[in-house]
Amino acid sequence: MGIPIKFEQRIDSPRWLILAVPVASLIAALLVGSIFLLATGHPPLDTFNSLLRGSFTTHRGFTNTLGLATILICTGLAAGFAFQMNLYNIGGEGQLYLGMIGGAWAGIALGDHFPGYLAVLLTLLFGALAGGLWVTVPAITKARFGTSEIVSTLLLNYVALNLVNYFIFGSKGFFRDPSTAFPQGRKVPDSVRLDAFGKTQTYPTIFLSVLLAVFLFWLIKKSEFGYRIKVLADSPKAAGYAGINAPRLTLSVLVISGALAGLGGAMLVVGPTGKLDPGVAGIGLGYAGIVVAALARYNFVAIILASVLFAGLRVGGDSLQISTDVPIHIAVIIQGAVLIFALGGEVFRKYRIRIVRPGSAAGVAA
Amino acid sequence: MNNNIWLLTFADSISIATTLILASLGALLTERSGVINLGVEGVLLMGVASTFLVSDGTGNPWLALVIGTCVGALLAMVHAVLCVVLRANQIVSGLALVIFCTGLANFLAKPIEGKPKRVQLNAIDFGPLSDIPIIGPLIFGHDLITYVTWLIVISASAYMFRTRPGLTLRAVGDDPATVDSQGLPVAAIRFGYTMAGGALMGLAGGWFMLARSAAWQQQATTNGIGWIALALVVFAAWRPLRLVFGAVLFGFTLQLPFTLQAEQIKVIPAAILPMIPYLVTLAALIAMSTPRARAVLGAPKALGQPFVRDER
Repeated sequence: MGIPIKFEQRIDSPRWLILAVPVASLIAALLVGSIFLLATGHPPLDTFNSLLRGSFTTHRGFTNTLGLATILICTGLAAGFAFQMNLYNIGGEGQLYLGMIGGAWAGIALGDHFPGYLAVLLTLLFGALAGGLWVTVPAITKARFGTSEIVSTLLLNYVALNLVNYFIFGSKGFFRDPSTAFPQGRKVPDSVRLDAFGKTQTYPTIFLSVLLAVFLFWLIKKSEFGYRIKVLADSPKAAGYAGINAPRLTLSVLVISGALAGLGGAMLVVGPTGKLDPGVAGIGLGYAGIVVAALARYNFVAIILASVLFAGLRVGGDSLQISTDVPIHIAVIIQGAVLIFALGGEVFRKYRIRIVRPGSAAGVAA
Repeated sequence: MNNNIWLLTFADSISIATTLILASLGALLTERSGVINLGVEGVLLMGVASTFLVSDGTGNPWLALVIGTCVGALLAMVHAVLCVVLRANQIVSGLALVIFCTGLANFLAKPIEGKPKRVQLNAIDFGPLSDIPIIGPLIFGHDLITYVTWLIVISASAYMFRTRPGLTLRAVGDDPATVDSQGLPVAAIRFGYTMAGGALMGLAGGWFMLARSAAWQQQATTNGIGWIALALVVFAAWRPLRLVFGAVLFGFTLQLPFTLQAEQIKVIPAAILPMIPYLVTLAALIAMSTPRARAVLGAPKALGQPFVRDER
């Protein structure tokens, strides 16, 4: 007995389902959002309409979305890259902060000593480095003892958050702007900052994000490094026979993952924030990156699309909060709901589902 | 004087352990049945939010706790539907739950942000018992739910290791195929324990609101306690009674920064102070995964694996 549903494994899933599942998930999530909007006395259609205006259907909204997507792609790639080896790096949030710290340090300390383009590169590099370093303890302990990287990377997010708060609110040190009494980050020199396109919030770093996504796509599909990752992910035993050093590969994959999230943090420094900005913590870009990666089913190119969608939800939510009294958290509800429905919908891709009537032949066979 | 402060800190650690015990016992039950629910932090937060809303609306703390508990069970049901029925990835589902709950809790409670709570759980009056030195404040200074929690955790241990359903619970997490071959419904059992676990997490959040927080504050409310609770399950080697010791220890690390700050004791740099609970948890997690510790630990063998009979 039990649940009267029978799952028949599909050998290959129909193509239309690959698109239908995410689209249906988004619609279902919007419906869930509508319920909460209605329950709190907000008209859903008007709300979604202004959400769209703030994020996609206006020039200003869309360029804001692309600006945020630039960073979200990085944290999405970070989560997606680790997942290629069935590793869950939930620490993207903290690694992003560290990327901001590393980037701001390089920008302030080295920015004036190098020509502009080199200074920008160094800032990005130091951000990635800091993000990669931040994940070394979870990475080493995972590789060495098998410590759950899920909980260890997550715990470090809170440590990183407190570190940022200490640098800006708790001390008057290097990262704090010395010219104002108001606690805020010290700006990096102008030479370290890239110019946005026109009067938008989109920065040239978006090309870097997209390029990285394509590169990682190639790396996993075509390179020998990617092949080793795939073998180890599919069968640790086979990897052992093939002479793949599993601990070392685990370590490198997690560190690269951390570096990707860190790079996102540094992109904030060379772009919109120009400093170590504790306000970024409120956006939850690291956590959203995990959702984006899962929604894109860890396909690096799909991560770009999912990032734009989620960045749009966030940016639209922000503009909602300003223009109406709908809390921005409606965007977070929708983000979570999309993933929940997409996960549920996955089952339709993997299995053919039959409802088994009690007493029927199939029911007995099951 | 100084002694008094430390005594209070210990008493507070025992008090705050209530949330940790409830939340991690919820995670423990879920995991013992073979399902891993990473959504603890989110369910906890929704427990906090719903308990606050109901207590604010009705002024009845007990009703609020019941609702908070039910909300926890309902949210865990989402996880159970995804993971047990639809066989989705349990890790991702748990994370999705965290994000959904965080958004929902903040959305629902936005209009009342910063509003002080209307009712709170008070310590039970034990009369002269509370005046016993040391033992008084440590043991006889808590509210009803704390004592109920102690009772729950002792019964959970007895249930798991001394009763037949408890044996089934452990078996379903270790070897679902055998349980299945005995004609017991693996999926239904896992579904039930996942929901029961969620109920405990919801109660953990509700108690946290009514006993420990002054007002509903956006964002910072649970501050990672749910994740600490998950690490605590590993620390306790999936045994309820060990949770109690772990919870008091972790409760102490949560309390310590406040005491050190209040007392102006500068043994630890101010920058590190608020990081202590997370760093200690991380250290404990790593220590418990060394080969020697692993040999005595007993993670449920089928943890995180959906049970699929057809493919056997």
